[in-house]
Amino acid sequence: MHLRRLLRKAVLQAALGLLGALVLWPPAAPAQEEVTSSIRRYRERELSTGYYEEYEVKPRRVRPFVGAPEVVRRYPSVTPYRPRAAVEPNVRSRMEDSHAGIQFYELRRCEECHVEEAKHSHTTRGNLTCRQCHGGEPIAGINYYYSPLNPIRRHAYVCSKCHEGANISFATYLVHEPKAGDPATRKTFASLYYSNWFMYLLIVGTLAFFGLHTLIWVGKESYHAMREKMKPEPQAKSPPEKPEPEEPENE
Amino acid sequence: MNDQVRIVRFNIFDRVFHVFIMVTFLIQAVTGMGRLLYATSWGKFVVNLFGGYGGATTVHNTVGILMIIGFVIHIAYVLAKVEWKSWRKSLFDADSLVPQRADVVHLGQKVRWFFGMGPPPAFDRWTYWEKFDYWAVFWGLPLLAITGLPLMYPLAASRIMPGWVLNVLVLFHRAEALLAMLYIFIIHFTIGHLRRGMFPMNECMFAGSVELEKEREEKPLWIARLEEEGRLEEAIVPGPPYWYRVMYFIFGYTALIVGLYLLLTIIIYRNYIEWH
Repeated sequence: MHLRRLLRKAVLQAALGLLGALVLWPPAAPAQEEVTSSIRRYRERELSTGYYEEYEVKPRRVRPFVGAPEVVRRYPSVTPYRPRAAVEPNVRSRMEDSHAGIQFYELRRCEECHVEEAKHSHTTRGNLTCRQCHGGEPIAGINYYYSPLNPIRRHAYVCSKCHEGANISFATYLVHEPKAGDPATRKTFASLYYSNWFMYLLIVGTLAFFGLHTLIWVGKESYHAMREKMKPEPQAKSPPEKPEPEEPENE
Repeated sequence: MNDQVRIVRFNIFDRVFHVFIMVTFLIQAVTGMGRLLYATSWGKFVVNLFGGYGGATTVHNTVGILMIIGFVIHIAYVLAKVEWKSWRKSLFDADSLVPQRADVVHLGQKVRWFFGMGPPPAFDRWTYWEKFDYWAVFWGLPLLAITGLPLMYPLAASRIMPGWVLNVLVLFHRAEALLAMLYIFIIHFTIGHLRRGMFPMNECMFAGSVELEKEREEKPLWIARLEEEGRLEEAIVPGPPYWYRVMYFIFGYTALIVGLYLLLTIIIYRNYIEWH
């Protein structure tokens, strides 16, 4: 008896202690490092340097006060001094080193500036890295004459690394496709823009029409059933509530 | 339910086609959604059930080709069913699924009935929403096939069309698939399961037969026509056996749960769905 009570007390105390530990234990915190995406890692670089970016400590720094054309500005610049603003916008796509002159470039990652470009199916699904197509440093602009991504040789130098037998037509597939709903797409990729509108209207129209149809129908049937139930019993002389369609007009 | 008089509504071919499209559609929906949402943990989980991204793609492509074959067989079946000697009558009589002027009239009557402005329409064998269900699949399936085949063989496709056309085809494929899923999981399921009088399940597509008395209310013109032509007696069939009912209830509810789960996924991950 005594032993049993003791045991029970011990178990109870242990359970309470565990509960207290669970409550008081500090929540799981990430280590003092910023784990970056498992998808967008630079496999080749990792292999060659032995430096795994998944566990890389990124410096906590504010955006440097430097601007560059074509670069998405995530934060407004504090200083209005932008010496490169006068540079012609598309020139970087024709440069041998398209990122030449960008300060602290080596400390930054592609998707910090190329936010939208990093979200496409070759990356998110195919697990490709930017550099597997755009090449190593210095990354040439896609219109630079000797760039592997120059449209005259893109199919042979880049696409066919995976898609064996890719031709020029195949290479016109837009990997970084514009957003179909974006008004700017009407000029850059009209067929995508209008297809998007067509399908959008089709989906919204079909669902709106048949959704409303079904909703009203189910509601009306429930309403009729409720009224049937609430109707008082002795009502012999009144005509039936639901009109019977004796003479259909459609035939 | 077996003590009621039942008449035949769907023959064995119709029922097999329906089960076939149910199974293949749900497989395509699961493998397609998993790959569409591959950037999310849900997508990775679903895709890994099929052995990874490549496995899910292989399943999706294979089942897609199966669906195309099934569709071709269905067209052959439909063409064989039409009596070509009197094709005009055969295509446009009340037993045909071809949309007719009466369907527009019925829709108008139904809308008026919705707002208490008239009696409900008296239907013949097929109501207009049943016809829409049929033709929605009939145009959705070729669209998905025509857009899906070039995506399945992009290298061959880019020889006969510019590669950027594939960008547009992806948009059509995803948008149409999304429309099909939303329509089936919201509207078709509501009409088939949730309507008053249908509630646990509308069994006629599995049992193949319907209760005569119920149909007299729902589709009076059909029953009147059968009686007039003296075909009512030969349409009477025995009800489905108990074991068969248990089977199709389990099957139907499995499909329902998978569909609703996918619908929930679409709602939860709506911000991750990009149809272009």
